Amino acid sequence: MKKLATLATAAALLASFSVAKEIKIGAVMPMSGPLAAYGQVTYEGIELANELQPTLKNGDTVKLVLVDNKGDKVETSTATTRLISADGVVGILGALTSSNTAAVIAVAEKKKIPVIASVATNDKLTAKREFANRVCFMDSFQGEVIANYAISQGYKTAAVISDQAQVYSLGLAKAFEKAFTKAGGKITKEVKVTSGDKDFKAVVAQVKSANPDFMFLPLYHPEASLIARQSKDIGLNKPMFSGDGVANQTMIDLGGDAIEGYMFTDFFDYSAPPTQASKDFIAAYEKKTGKKEMNSFTALGADTYNVMLAAMNKCADPTDSVCINKEIKNTKNFEGVSGVLNIDESGNASRSAVIKEFKNGKMVYKTTVNP
Amino acid sequence: MGFIIKKDQWINLAIVAATLWFIWFAQTHLDEYTVRILNNIAIFIILAVSYNLINGVTGQFSLEPNGFVAIGAYVAALLLLDADAKEYQYDIESPYPWVLALQANFVWALFFAGTFSALLALALSFPVFRVRGDYLAIVTLGFGFIIRILAINNPEITNGSLGLNDIPEFSNLYWTGGVALLAVIAILNIVDSKFGRAMKAIRDDEDAAIAMGVNTFKIKTMAFCTSAFLEGVGGGLLAALLTSISPDLFTFFLTFQLLIIIVLGGLGSTTGAIIGTVLVMGGSEWMRFLDEPMNIFGIVETPAMPGMRMVVFSIILIFVMLFAREGIMGKRELKDLFKKKRGES
Amino acid sequence: MDFLTFMQQMVNGFSLGSMYALIAIGYTMVYGVLRLINFAHGDIMMVGAFLGYFGIAVLDLPFAAAALLAVVGSATLGMLTDKIAYKPLRNAPKISLLITAIGISFFLENAFNVFFGGVPRAFPVPDYMSHILNLGGLVFSVSSLLVPIVTLILLGGILWVLFKTKYGMAIRALAFDVNTVNLMGIDANRIIMIVFGMGSALAAVGGVFWALNYPTVEPMMGVLIGLKAFAAAVVGGIGSVTGAVLGGFIIGFTEVVVIAFMPELGGYKDAFAFVFLILVLLFKPTGILGYDFEKSRF
Repeated sequence: MKKLATLATAAALLASFSVAKEIKIGAVMPMSGPLAAYGQVTYEGIELANELQPTLKNGDTVKLVLVDNKGDKVETSTATTRLISADGVVGILGALTSSNTAAVIAVAEKKKIPVIASVATNDKLTAKREFANRVCFMDSFQGEVIANYAISQGYKTAAVISDQAQVYSLGLAKAFEKAFTKAGGKITKEVKVTSGDKDFKAVVAQVKSANPDFMFLPLYHPEASLIARQSKDIGLNKPMFSGDGVANQTMIDLGGDAIEGYMFTDFFDYSAPPTQASKDFIAAYEKKTGKKEMNSFTALGADTYNVMLAAMNKCADPTDSVCINKEIKNTKNFEGVSGVLNIDESGNASRSAVIKEFKNGKMVYKTTVNP
Repeated sequence: MGFIIKKDQWINLAIVAATLWFIWFAQTHLDEYTVRILNNIAIFIILAVSYNLINGVTGQFSLEPNGFVAIGAYVAALLLLDADAKEYQYDIESPYPWVLALQANFVWALFFAGTFSALLALALSFPVFRVRGDYLAIVTLGFGFIIRILAINNPEITNGSLGLNDIPEFSNLYWTGGVALLAVIAILNIVDSKFGRAMKAIRDDEDAAIAMGVNTFKIKTMAFCTSAFLEGVGGGLLAALLTSISPDLFTFFLTFQLLIIIVLGGLGSTTGAIIGTVLVMGGSEWMRFLDEPMNIFGIVETPAMPGMRMVVFSIILIFVMLFAREGIMGKRELKDLFKKKRGES
Repeated sequence: MDFLTFMQQMVNGFSLGSMYALIAIGYTMVYGVLRLINFAHGDIMMVGAFLGYFGIAVLDLPFAAAALLAVVGSATLGMLTDKIAYKPLRNAPKISLLITAIGISFFLENAFNVFFGGVPRAFPVPDYMSHILNLGGLVFSVSSLLVPIVTLILLGGILWVLFKTKYGMAIRALAFDVNTVNLMGIDANRIIMIVFGMGSALAAVGGVFWALNYPTVEPMMGVLIGLKAFAAAVVGGIGSVTGAVLGGFIIGFTEVVVIAFMPELGGYKDAFAFVFLILVLLFKPTGILGYDFEKSRF
């Protein structure tokens, strides 16, 4: 019996040495179209993570298959079907926004293929879904962090400027408003803008007349930086706070002096890498791209890949997507590029958030908030 | 008379039978990726042939489809989702009670999707057909844009930019292909009827058509409402195929895509609209290899260039317009290809 | 709302309206001579803004030189698109021309996305441009004051060309009947090319101003601005240059003022241009200052 087992092991070893397989992981990202900016930045992380760890423990190589969804739902569904049925991927990374990720999950769920979302923060995305996972925190957590911070600073009234075309923005605004009101604050002004808008002079003029203690801007950097600038132009100098959507160098380039002291939450702090994995990754990133700064979308993109890879490594058969999914949900104290990650039964990540501010053209770390 | 079937009709019946067989074969034998593309093609055939009716056959340059497809998709989605699912997913605002109460099976959902779009088209035809030519184009473009903004701004009905998810997946090739077949037959019959001749008269010379006693407003409105009905049904099928819809699905890029399809196929030709759909929808999937790293003749290794396929797509589009300006079919239909040339028509 | 806020909004509306106006002029002129809705015009504006960016950030040119580069580059591109894509289609059905315009538009957007990336780039605004002026409580930057002034000067220039020069006469004649113009021994193609050059140059000015005031450039920036500017051209009366400027100001003011007075309508901001458009066409189907092109083509 023992002999047989040894033989089997030897055979298995031999097999794994002699025929290293190629296993495919799919990525659905908007590489063209209106969301291309974010898709491209996220994919940089996925691609580099794959270059750094192209093989599994057992020697199989992992091949990334990227499909562009143009930020469009019909394309997203088709692309996901292609990845699963034509390319035979074991897992899918993507697809940036919550609404497109919902379309990926709708297809993948039926085929029992795990999905890991990088920045889809909408609370309901993973609910009632078995194969949906994410490495980012949810809007409700981020909203709470910001509301509590504002209250602790003695701010009693807030103006909220949200982007009605972005699920991210609306979800975050709602989470913040709920937490802020619950903690005794009052929302005195709510304005909606639309992504792609460039002129916010009327918006900031209104906020100025409402005179809040504090402004919350759950927006992405193109709009947030313009609002900051145009606020300063009319002498509106209230503390401003955003979510993770502004955490990048472009915000600094765009905002210039106007964002001095502007605060935001982020997934990780680039200047103080939280883990060894982040230090290594940042070094590799700088070497590859020559850039001196790394977007947190890039870090989260890398972590979707890393978490997927770690889960595959834990499975006896790294092509068993049901097992991979189970192991993803079993991610405990994982040292990711963006920080230490835990993923629970429902597929949601619990992870720390950091609060940072822009100072002298840099992102400066203020504090870490744990869940 | 009566039971004698003419040769033409035999050919038609054979084509219908072949299509039905293909739908059955594809749904049961082909892999899911192919079936998914075929589903997309079938839905876009519905949209393209109906858009062609107003744009190509009647000659009214209108840019409305994204608006009606959006309405059809939302109406169908709201009817297909049950109250619990709606209550659960409305995240931005609570839904209105009447929104929760909406409920119907798939057939009725599609019917209402179409009817609602058609009624709206009827209401819209009074202002839009006051204007001719390019003004009509810009008014209808504005209409599609306003529909999308309304969808974003009324989260009590539409769940805002988050859109509707978990829509039951009723669409399959039997549905999409079957409806596409019906739509094509219906459109071909309309085009061959006296209404169709009136539509073409309007296209060729509106003033002459008026002089000949054609009620141009009535004919245009009929064409517009028929288009809108089928676009609404197509939207409903799309919602039940994707199971997830949101306002960003219905931008004017959708309209542009359909416009490209019908012009590429040959404006005014239903056969052309079908060929155009297959080429554009199938082609844009096929061209995905352009995004990937390439090895040209084993000499040059190009890096991956995501987005390249759209660049090539636009160049092809420009070339087709420059060198084959009538599109593939011109104004001809399939049957015209079998007929002997009868001189200039 | 006090008087000061009101005046502030007026200044803002004037500045925004000027930029729409600059872009709308190109639409209206091209439409005048070719009856073509040049869907690529917004993207020509985007290219203009990018050229300005490259001039300052890459070539290290002073602002004025970069702006000149943008104007010359865009004008060349505009004339080139006419020569390559529109000229061969002079006698083709109008819709082929339109699809070609959409093709050019897709091409410019996607080519810029593939080769320069979709990430918005910060436009390096010279310090003297972002300097804030405060006139009795009214605050605005130098650049937002510069926009309406330059727009009015350029409008004067265009009107002078149109009504006081031979070229202008040819352009106006072309707007009525291409064949007659050809019979009169005027090279219509040359005139059309000049129109494309002028329109694109103005779009580049608009693009550079846009980049100055809202300091980002990205490949998709021309889409929405272009559509709104086109709506402005139709509202003002397509074919009429003064009408385009008027339409631009109307749309710009509406966007600013409606949000200022009815903030709850903020979400509908992008729809105003089109609601306005539909209303104007319902009551005056040729736009405020437009001619009836259908009738003028006897």
